[in-house]
Amino acid sequence: MFDHDTLVSTRERAAVLALLARRRVQWNRLAGSIEEVGSALGLLDQLEEADDPRLFAVEGAEVTLDQLEERVIAYENEGIHLITVLDAAYPMNLRMVHDRPPALFVRGALAPTDERSVAVVGSRRASAAGLDKAAEIARDLVAREYVVVSGLAAGIDTAAHRATLDAGGRTVAVIGTGLRHHFPSQNAELQERLGRESAVVSQFWPGQEPRRWTFPQRNAVMSGFARASVVVEAGNKSGARMQARLAVEHGRPVFLLRSLLRHEWAKTYAEHRPGTYVVDSGEEVVAHLERLYSDELILTT
Amino acid sequence: MALTVEEASEAYQRAMIPIAPPGPGICRVCWGFVNRDFDSCYPCGHQPDNLKAVVPITYSENLGQIHLALRNYKDGNSEGVRRYAAVRLAAIFWRFLARHEECVARAAGVDGFDLVTIVPSSDPERDKSSAFAQITGWIKPIESRLERVLEPTGDVKERGFAAGRFRATAALAERSVLLLDDTWTTGGQAQSAAAALTAAGASAVALVAIGRHVNRDYEPVKGSGETCGDLLDAIPGEFSWDTCAVHGS
Repeated sequence: MFDHDTLVSTRERAAVLALLARRRVQWNRLAGSIEEVGSALGLLDQLEEADDPRLFAVEGAEVTLDQLEERVIAYENEGIHLITVLDAAYPMNLRMVHDRPPALFVRGALAPTDERSVAVVGSRRASAAGLDKAAEIARDLVAREYVVVSGLAAGIDTAAHRATLDAGGRTVAVIGTGLRHHFPSQNAELQERLGRESAVVSQFWPGQEPRRWTFPQRNAVMSGFARASVVVEAGNKSGARMQARLAVEHGRPVFLLRSLLRHEWAKTYAEHRPGTYVVDSGEEVVAHLERLYSDELILTT
Repeated sequence: MALTVEEASEAYQRAMIPIAPPGPGICRVCWGFVNRDFDSCYPCGHQPDNLKAVVPITYSENLGQIHLALRNYKDGNSEGVRRYAAVRLAAIFWRFLARHEECVARAAGVDGFDLVTIVPSSDPERDKSSAFAQITGWIKPIESRLERVLEPTGDVKERGFAAGRFRATAALAERSVLLLDDTWTTGGQAQSAAAALTAAGASAVALVAIGRHVNRDYEPVKGSGETCGDLLDAIPGEFSWDTCAVHGS
């Protein structure tokens, strides 16, 4: 493994973006490959010996590594911080999952307390009861000093973010577009606020527009960023359901609100998916988390 | 606070991949994927085999979720990260051994194991603070038989099998030994340990490892286009605690 304390050069970080643009390595193995070599420039050299000059397709333009380096600085001036898997600031929880992205774009700042993140997710078209439940769970999490993570979508996500802010807690958004976009546009103001007060995270190029494929990829990152995922309301085709699946594959607990059991998928999860817990309240979620993440854990039969 | 073995062992269950049934294309020693023209993989065919049975619990795909857990419990960036993986890996061993130690003994041709020990680290300094020794210490079903009887000589730096890598610290005449390790990659470490145990008089040595490491991109038959990734994906069914690589053997 590499040494996280070494300062990572802008050129190294640009090389991470170059690898991302190049797509020579399967995307979900790229971060791990960079870590194994210990240098993105090193991996780039291994992969690209024959290519000269090296050009990388980035957001509709063909750019050199020098130009990518300039872009990293330009992003920084725009308030978009690039955090790569080589940086010590790369989120601790996310580093533990196999499909972690090699780079994150961040508005605002990540914090060490983000290790205590819990994702609260659910439908865009949520019921009034569902919105209340999301808010209640967010408040219970804030009361025990957890960071509430969600996706800035309409419905459950918005309720979780807002309730956290109202309770004076920290809430981080992991969004399904690039940081220059807002989706939905009604949440533009909330996104700006989180960018000022906490953090908005995206694994996509800043200019990436919302696409069908961007949201499920985002759910993988949100699951990895958080210690656990709480699903409040979610239909068969929802991203929240997708996140439940990904979290279980990451070895992270999934909490399903009991009201979800009217859906077949949730019933199947509750009965057959290890690491899945059916809960009625935020307090129950907290109790499970305290146990599952206890420092003084002992195993019993 | 207490976590049950059942609950903790299930955390990574969806990422665990059952070991392929024995037969053509599977190494007869270590269950790795091989060219069908050979009965063992290259490393197993080129190093002494002092193990009466090698039983991995799951395949561990390079850079996959199990591989990361196996790395993070030792080298994770925070105590919390290391602990989360360590407890869950210990539970995987516990549950597997409680259910299948008998199968391993049968496959090794012994009635049971009187001694359980671990494959040390080759680096004496690293071995002193062995995370693997710590997690095996939590496993109740082996607690009374668990003993460190191997130590690194410190003389061997390179990878692969080396008879002088480890030395036994106790006489083991007529004792059957269950050797534990976290990962089997080429088996060089484990076979070095088995050689030292055998030299000290052990009557039989068998090994259980959590992960049989597999490189997804590797083609057992060069140029065939069929990778270990394809072969892993083709293994039928999901991981189950009810069976093992040598079940009922």
